[in-house]
Amino acid sequence: MHGTDSDGIITTGTTTVGLVGADGVVLAADSRASLGGRFVTNRTARKVVPVDDRTALTFAGSVGDAQSFVRRLRAELALYDMDHEPGASVDTAATVAADLIRRDGTPQLELVLGGVAPESTVYQIDPAGGVMDAPIAASGSGMQLAYGYLEDAYDPEQSVAELRAVAAMAVRNATERDTASGDGMTVATITADELEREQYDGIERAVSAATSQPTDSEVAR
Amino acid sequence: MNASSRQQAYDRGHTIFSPDGRLYQVEYAREAVERGSPSVGVVTSEGVVLAARKRVRSPLLEPDSVEKIHRVDDHLAVATAGHAADARQLVDAARKRCQQHRLQYGEPITVSVLASDLADHIQEQTQSGGTRPYGAAVLVGGVDPGPGPSPDPSPNPDSSPASDNRSADEIEPEPEHESVTDRTAQPALYEVDPGGTFYGWRGTAIGDGTAEIRSFLETELGGGDSSETQALTRDHGLSIALDALATTAADDRPLSPTTVTARVLGPEPESESSSGQSTPVGDDELERILDALE
Repeated sequence: MHGTDSDGIITTGTTTVGLVGADGVVLAADSRASLGGRFVTNRTARKVVPVDDRTALTFAGSVGDAQSFVRRLRAELALYDMDHEPGASVDTAATVAADLIRRDGTPQLELVLGGVAPESTVYQIDPAGGVMDAPIAASGSGMQLAYGYLEDAYDPEQSVAELRAVAAMAVRNATERDTASGDGMTVATITADELEREQYDGIERAVSAATSQPTDSEVAR
Repeated sequence: MNASSRQQAYDRGHTIFSPDGRLYQVEYAREAVERGSPSVGVVTSEGVVLAARKRVRSPLLEPDSVEKIHRVDDHLAVATAGHAADARQLVDAARKRCQQHRLQYGEPITVSVLASDLADHIQEQTQSGGTRPYGAAVLVGGVDPGPGPSPDPSPNPDSSPASDNRSADEIEPEPEHESVTDRTAQPALYEVDPGGTFYGWRGTAIGDGTAEIRSFLETELGGGDSSETQALTRDHGLSIALDALATTAADDRPLSPTTVTARVLGPEPESESSSGQSTPVGDDELERILDALE
């Protein structure tokens, strides 16, 4: 989401994506924070954040709304995990997130929430608390550009190792034309075994790191 | 009016003092704790050991449904004694307090702060109308981040990547406070009673047989010297805690993995941060230690 020009709220202009793969979920986002997409206020913002053991989200919109929201979501999920065995599923996390958003009265937030708990799942959550699951999701001012790439490049049979490259390319392509997105990238890979997050200083650095990582087939060899 | 009926009047409401300055309802609440099955806490150099005896009244009762030790945060657990229903409310209050602290201050709560907050909450029930005191006591065990080195007062002007990282952390609310640089987590154990007072201990017990257990621990853990605690390993602490529970004569049946439960709060291994973790002690290990005690 993009801030209105007059409100002076720092927003994350932003392109974020979430992809469901054969063995997990990949979330990625650029790292630019800006005033209405016209002045870059921060170039190393991390917009992909873990909220539970195997669940993370990306946010686009007001930085203040996002930070406050993430703190509260983490607290709610920690309390849930305390007396539920196993802990919160991605489905539950999405429901709690949407409920927090509704109780807040439409904050400026577009979320992509994904994880492997227990199934690989990605949800798109809108500022009115709407929750929709989808194999691919994108949010932020660059989302049309990201979707354009994903519609062509995404294959649900791919492994997370391969999808990291797809996610990085989707964000890269959006930063080429969306002035509110750019600078660097955060890529999170979630499998049943781990939640791993990498931060890159430059867009191209992220793309080359993501594309050079070995795919499953290479590992098998 | 005879003496006993006069005393009667002073225990009607717990907010009323007796002429000799006692709060009978609070004392009765302590009595309720004494009737509960015991929980033990022992501080070791490798973390805090909590152990408790479970009252399994019937072979048909599912032992796992008897809860004595409760995880309340990543690095904290609470062991209870007394009215189980009251204890559950305290556990719930503790869990909420832990998350509220993270929400409000962006850092995990420390053991002593949680104990004092719980004590405040418990004390309130002894002084306000329309309530009764909690019929339960708790042991709060956990590990605190160690005292880290003082923050560098003069940030290096050349280190622009570092300052970039700092702003990145401001954008993203991080729960793991890796900036707390000391790796040594400090174990701590507190007792909170129904009156709302709390004390720190190196080893103590609540519930039935507390006096025997405490004198056993005093013998095992040495006099007033905390070097005993510093030398204590997790395994040894666990075995002392279980041995202490075995001294209580409340139950003729010997301790077994069905009737005891234990949890260790220790520093997280291989962790960059100084956070703690809470690990239940498995039935196999309990069995092995109990066998070794005999």
